[in-house]
Amino acid sequence: MNNNLCDVCELNPAASLKKMGNSKGAADFTIALAGNPNAGKTTLFNALTGLKNHTGNWPGKTVSLSMGSYGYNNQHFKIVDLPGTYSLLSTSDDEEVARDFILFGQPDVTIIVVDASRLERHLSLALQILEITSKVVLCINLIDEASRNGITIDLRALSRDMGIPVVATNARSKEGLPELLSAVNQVATGQIQTVIKSKIKYSPELRQVIDEISTVLLQADPALSSTRWIATRIIDNDTHFINLLQLGQASPKITPAVINKAQLIARNYINKIGSSYKDEWATAYYNMCSKLVQGAVTVKGGKPSFRLDRTIDNIVTSKIWGFPIMFAILGIVLWITIIGANYPSRFLSDILIDKLLPLLRDGAAWLHFPAWLSGFLLDGVYLATAWVVSVMLPPMAIFFPLFTLLENLGYLPRVAFNLDRIFKSAGAHGKQALTMSMGFGCNAAGVVATRIINSPRERLIAIITNNFSLCNGRWPTQILIATIFIGSLAPRHLSQTVSMLAVTGIVILGIGFTFFTSWLLSKTLLKGEASFFTLELPPYRPPKIWQTLYTSFIDRTLIILWRAVVFAVPAGSVIWLIANIHIGNQSIAIWIINAFNPAGVLIGLNGVILLAYIVAIPANEIVIPTILMLSTLVIGHVATGAGAGVLFEGSDAEVGKLLRAAGWTTLTGINLMLFSLLHNPCSTTIYTIYKETKSVKWTTVATVLPIIYGIIVCLAVTMVWHVLN
Amino acid sequence: MYTLDNISKDVAVIITGLSADCPEIIRQRFLDLGFVNGATIEIFNVSPLGDPVAYLIHSTVISIRKQDAKYIMVKDKTSAAPL
Repeated sequence: MNNNLCDVCELNPAASLKKMGNSKGAADFTIALAGNPNAGKTTLFNALTGLKNHTGNWPGKTVSLSMGSYGYNNQHFKIVDLPGTYSLLSTSDDEEVARDFILFGQPDVTIIVVDASRLERHLSLALQILEITSKVVLCINLIDEASRNGITIDLRALSRDMGIPVVATNARSKEGLPELLSAVNQVATGQIQTVIKSKIKYSPELRQVIDEISTVLLQADPALSSTRWIATRIIDNDTHFINLLQLGQASPKITPAVINKAQLIARNYINKIGSSYKDEWATAYYNMCSKLVQGAVTVKGGKPSFRLDRTIDNIVTSKIWGFPIMFAILGIVLWITIIGANYPSRFLSDILIDKLLPLLRDGAAWLHFPAWLSGFLLDGVYLATAWVVSVMLPPMAIFFPLFTLLENLGYLPRVAFNLDRIFKSAGAHGKQALTMSMGFGCNAAGVVATRIINSPRERLIAIITNNFSLCNGRWPTQILIATIFIGSLAPRHLSQTVSMLAVTGIVILGIGFTFFTSWLLSKTLLKGEASFFTLELPPYRPPKIWQTLYTSFIDRTLIILWRAVVFAVPAGSVIWLIANIHIGNQSIAIWIINAFNPAGVLIGLNGVILLAYIVAIPANEIVIPTILMLSTLVIGHVATGAGAGVLFEGSDAEVGKLLRAAGWTTLTGINLMLFSLLHNPCSTTIYTIYKETKSVKWTTVATVLPIIYGIIVCLAVTMVWHVLN
Repeated sequence: MYTLDNISKDVAVIITGLSADCPEIIRQRFLDLGFVNGATIEIFNVSPLGDPVAYLIHSTVISIRKQDAKYIMVKDKTSAAPL
């Protein structure tokens, strides 16, 4: 095994750390992990729990929290990773989750993770948490980066000035973890009694109101903790918080009547003073930070220069290089994904379809399954599912890790920074650039990624328009159809270039629709509501490669794949059933195709395409195989296909021959490319949009709007085409 | 006294406060991010299209749009003008 002697030595305090992943069972202590974004909180969390954490919903909350466990000194510690926030004073979801947990979840210890090079900012959150609870350990993380920046921190002075244990760590290399665990243990068991020395100093007027409200609260419940903090939330008239108070979350003795009394005092004060108290609070926190930093931090040369970040930023956000570098990186990521996914896709399809399916068929025959049953189960359900897995898994398993690497490196925020000006003019948010790029990999993932946009209006715009980013599932369709119908129009030596240009044109058209729709929504359905943009450009840090690969695979790839499989099973059965159940002298599929055909032809498509887009809703990847199978039904070419209801593929030439035999023209090809861009999102994405918006209305808008575009654009192209010809 | 959107590059200034017409939601966000009276701030870099601008404040880099930067009032580091 890889146990070295140090790991088991009794003199090594880390020897008693036992990572327990997400082990169940009653914990002896609950630990909350709080901190600013980019303080290395997640790295620390993973170092303590060993990656196998899980996300769980805290009661009453939609935002999920990561939870994990570790053992120390034969005690079981449950650790909860709170969302990274700058402050606990405003009312964004993340901040509410963090402070509700610290206040109402009553963790035994809260570890506050701060970036050693940026104490001036990060200590502000620490001071706010200290207003809620004194059971705190301050973890000064990234200590090695700080010493490289010429920063020295006097831990003892800081600990003395704040009254809490202060530990320096470097979570990446696990430095300082033993000391951290020991401090946490001592605070949890009461061996260390923390006494807050860094209370915020308010103005006399404000202090008086806080005292008055505190008195009211303590009269109702003398045992109430965090009274001063609760008083400030009441002054700030934080409705979410006051609701929780009224429900008795802090104490059953704090009744609505008590709260009303407190609110009255607060209202009188606000009427006199106005809302300048907000500025006063924030200023008080930051003044205290400066004081603490002055007492404990020395910087070589006066102040940190962050020279490396500045140098890189001067290139990647420069007028000349900013955009070319951005497009080159996105292009390379997409290219690696599309080209790279071919090999594992072929491998998976070879195993799941070419090897396993015949074996399953043999097995079914051996068990004397009737033909309809083995057809339904194997050619329908199994084949569609296997198809979705083999074409969907590889691109996602390549794209997501690459994207996450760029994210962890610190580059992605620069993309939002570079592009915000353009998004702003469409009434959208710069971070939509990121969710849009994510959409090129997978729209469902892009929709989830919109969580990074903190204003609700802009987030909704980003969700609704994500479908206009051509996702991985549609790239192969575009490339295939462009090669067959457009590349073939050009001279042979230019045909590949021409097809690639056509696909690029579709992508650009999609971006155009993104901006147009964003603008349209911000002028109509989503108009009004103030919008603003604040974005931290975090320090560049080398990403942890394996951790990135692992977490992006678990968090993004598997979740999306699972959702797709859930939808692929019923779709597979429907595809097989409509091709095999006959009404009168023809299959249901043919009846539907004939019914759809006039409308299809009107917009330059055909009945087969329309039906394929309906039944292949679980994944864009199975649209082409479904079209091919349905086309063989229509033209009755048994030799070309694999049988009724059985999806198949072929070489470009074979597919081209089959489609032309089914009556496809260049117009059909062009319109299919357009319709592939402009149609409803796949069912996985629709479901994800609903999960994220919790709104039938917005889910419907996001689903129907692209279809309307698709019909209008295809109809227009068809009319122009007929005029020209 | 002037506002953050018209400070020049390579000159650090001191924030004196947020203007009275700053919308509540933006004010709170700025306060969370430490745009408070007395904070030192300078331009870190400018995006390719000139807006937004990234500022170095409390040893972190925060970018905001020009239209929002005009709510942040600043003074020169040396100026002795009252706050």
